[in-house]
Amino acid sequence: MSWLFQFAGGQDLLSLLMSLLWFIFMLLFLIYPTFSQKIQLSYMLRDVEKKLLKLKYFRDEVRKRTINHLNKYSDGNIEVDKGVDRLLGSVVIEPIDRDPYGIMYKLEHIVNTWEETFENEVRALCPKADEKTVKTLTNLVEVARGLDYIYRIIRHYYLLGKKTANIYTVLQVQMILPQVMEIANAYRQSSYAFAQGQPIGDGVGVLAVAKLIDGMEKKTYEIAKDTVVQETFWNGRKILVLRAKGPGGAVGKPGEGVKKLIEAEGDKVKAVITIDAGLKLEGEESGKIIEGIGAAIGGIGVERYKIEEISKAKGIPLYAFVIYESIAEAITPMRENIAKAAEKVVEKVKRLILEKIDDGATVIVAGIGNTVGIGMT
Amino acid sequence: MIPGKEAEKIPTPLTHMKCLKCGTVNSRPFKEGDYVFKEVEEKCPKCGHDKMRIIGIYVKEEKEKKKVKLF
Repeated sequence: MSWLFQFAGGQDLLSLLMSLLWFIFMLLFLIYPTFSQKIQLSYMLRDVEKKLLKLKYFRDEVRKRTINHLNKYSDGNIEVDKGVDRLLGSVVIEPIDRDPYGIMYKLEHIVNTWEETFENEVRALCPKADEKTVKTLTNLVEVARGLDYIYRIIRHYYLLGKKTANIYTVLQVQMILPQVMEIANAYRQSSYAFAQGQPIGDGVGVLAVAKLIDGMEKKTYEIAKDTVVQETFWNGRKILVLRAKGPGGAVGKPGEGVKKLIEAEGDKVKAVITIDAGLKLEGEESGKIIEGIGAAIGGIGVERYKIEEISKAKGIPLYAFVIYESIAEAITPMRENIAKAAEKVVEKVKRLILEKIDDGATVIVAGIGNTVGIGMT
Repeated sequence: MIPGKEAEKIPTPLTHMKCLKCGTVNSRPFKEGDYVFKEVEEKCPKCGHDKMRIIGIYVKEEKEKKKVKLF
C-alpha cells in the first residue's frame, strides 16, 4: 500500500483518490482518442435537438393554423386535415438537365401544372371560398409545406448524425441552424399574414406600380394567369403597368405578360422597367432603393428568362429598381420603411420615364411580387 | 419545448386610412378583410365623413435605442 501513497506524494487517502481519478481520466484520453470528440458531439446534438424541437413546435403551429383557417371555408363532409397533410407531403420533380435544351419551357410546364393542381386541391377543400380567398389559402398551404420541409430536412440530418455518430454531419447542421431558425420563424409569421390577408414585404413592387398610376384614368385587362395590365397615359407617354391581380395572394406570370405586351405593341415599346424586392446583405438598410440594369425578378427563373429573351430579340433596354429587405421581411407583414420605399420608388420611376422615354413612346412598368392584401387601383 | 417570448411575438400591422373628403389620415389596428386601396365605411375623426380609403397596411417600426455602430 505504501507505494500507492507514494504515488499520491505521500499524502492522505483523499489525495490518493484524487490522483487516481486524474490518472484514469488521462488514460481514458490516451486509450480512447475520440473521447473528446464524443463529448463535443453530444453537446452539439443537444443543441441541434433543442432547435429541432422549436422547429417542430413552429411546424405544428402553422399546420394547425392552416387547417383551422381552411376549415372556415370548408363544409362538414371534407376531411381538411387529411387533405392538408397530403399537400404538405407532395413533391415537384424538376426536369432532367443533362440535355439543357429547352429546359426553361419544361420547367415552366411542370411549375404551371404544379400550381394549378395545388390551387385546385385547395379549392376542393374549401368550396365556400371565393377566387381571391382560394389564392391566399393556397399561399398559406405553401407556407405550411415549406416549414414542414425545413423541419423534415433538419430532422433527417440530426438523426443521420446521431446514428452514424458523425461529428461533421452534425457540425454542418449546427452551423446553418441560426439562419434556418430565422427563416422558420419568418415562415411562421408569414402564415399569420396570409391567414389574415395582410400585405407582405415581397409585395412592395406591386404596391409601387399601384401607387404610380393611382388616380389616373386607365384601362384594365387580364393578359396572363392572375396577371393584369393597366394602360394609361402620362406626360405624353403610354404606360403599361403589369402586375398580379390583387388583393388575393398571387404573383402572376409577369414574364408571359411582358412577352405578350411586346408582341402586341411591336416597336413602340422603348423600355421595360421592373420593380421588385431584393435580398439585402447584413448591415444594409431595409427599404433602400437600388437602380440597375436587367430584369428584377426572382423565382425559379422562367419569368426572367422570358423577359430577357423577348427584350434581347427586340433590342429593348431593361431597367430595374430593387428595394432591399431581408428574407424574413420579404415574407412577413410589410414594415414601415418598406412601405415608404414604395412611395419613393414611384418618383424615381417617373424621373426615369421622363429621361429615357420619348414623347409618344410606350413603356412597360412591371411590379413584381405577391399581391396579398394589395388591391387594384 | 415552448419557444422563448421573442419567437412568440407576431407583429400586428396598422391600417392607415385617408378620408375621401378632407384627406385626413387616420390609423387603427388591422382587421381581417382590410386591403390596400379598399374603400371602407368608417367615420373620419376630423370631418365625420363616412367613407375612407385604405392607403397603407404596415407594421410600425419600433424606435431603436441609439447605438454607436462601427459598420
